[in-house]
Amino acid sequence: MKKHWRCFVCNDIHYGIKPPEICPTCQVKNAYVKTSSAEAETICGGAEAEKVDFNKDIFLEAIEKFTENNEFQVNPDREKVNLLLEGIFNNEKNHGLKYCPCRLITKDFKEDLKLVCPCNFLIHSTYKEKGECWCGLFKRRK
Amino acid sequence: MEKKIMFWARECPHCRNMIPLVDKLEEETDVKLERLEIWHNEKNADLMRSFKDVIAPKCGGQLRTPTFFDTETNDVICGKVEYEKLKEWALK
Ligand code: SF4
Repeated sequence: MKKHWRCFVCNDIHYGIKPPEICPTCQVKNAYVKTSSAEAETICGGAEAEKVDFNKDIFLEAIEKFTENNEFQVNPDREKVNLLLEGIFNNEKNHGLKYCPCRLITKDFKEDLKLVCPCNFLIHSTYKEKGECWCGLFKRRK
Repeated sequence: MEKKIMFWARECPHCRNMIPLVDKLEEETDVKLERLEIWHNEKNADLMRSFKDVIAPKCGGQLRTPTFFDTETNDVICGKVEYEKLKEWALK
């Protein structure tokens, strides 16, 4: 079961089954201590954190950065990308998270987390066969 | 009563590609599809979810769009397909 962890040196918060051995921010070894969800949320939402309001442009920048060192890229077909971004942001506004515009949530939260964009599309049959995520937002580089 | 349904989503590129093929199918044959948008209409979304046990196993375990579903035969196609494949599904 995933939990919250806090670095006792720099207050980085980690959410997962195990914390990283070395804190990625302050580089201290064995620095994570299990913490409460309430404490983690307070720290993450606190004044120190950079407040990022995601709009489509910032999200596009984020996914472009994410693809930089990967074998895939954001689809060069910008018309398609814009349509998908529209759907992703409408889904966040209407349904709470950036759900995939080409699949439907089941209403089982844990299951539906698999549909948050970008999803783990490397396992999609369309990626294996055609080099694209199910929607075509990401495409394998030639 | 038997219904042929196209579950689609407004911002899904494959659905956009398939809509002209559905128009063509309806012009060329007697088949009429019920076109149900699922991200902006909760009733349609619930209907699609109610068929999850039949649809999902044929669509990679998920509810994907577009999905073409025949309520009588339970025949399902999902994703972007050639016109001939759509027609074959519709006339079965
Ligand atoms: S299939 Fe593509 S667009 Fe859909 S959630 Fe996954 S990465 Fe995003």
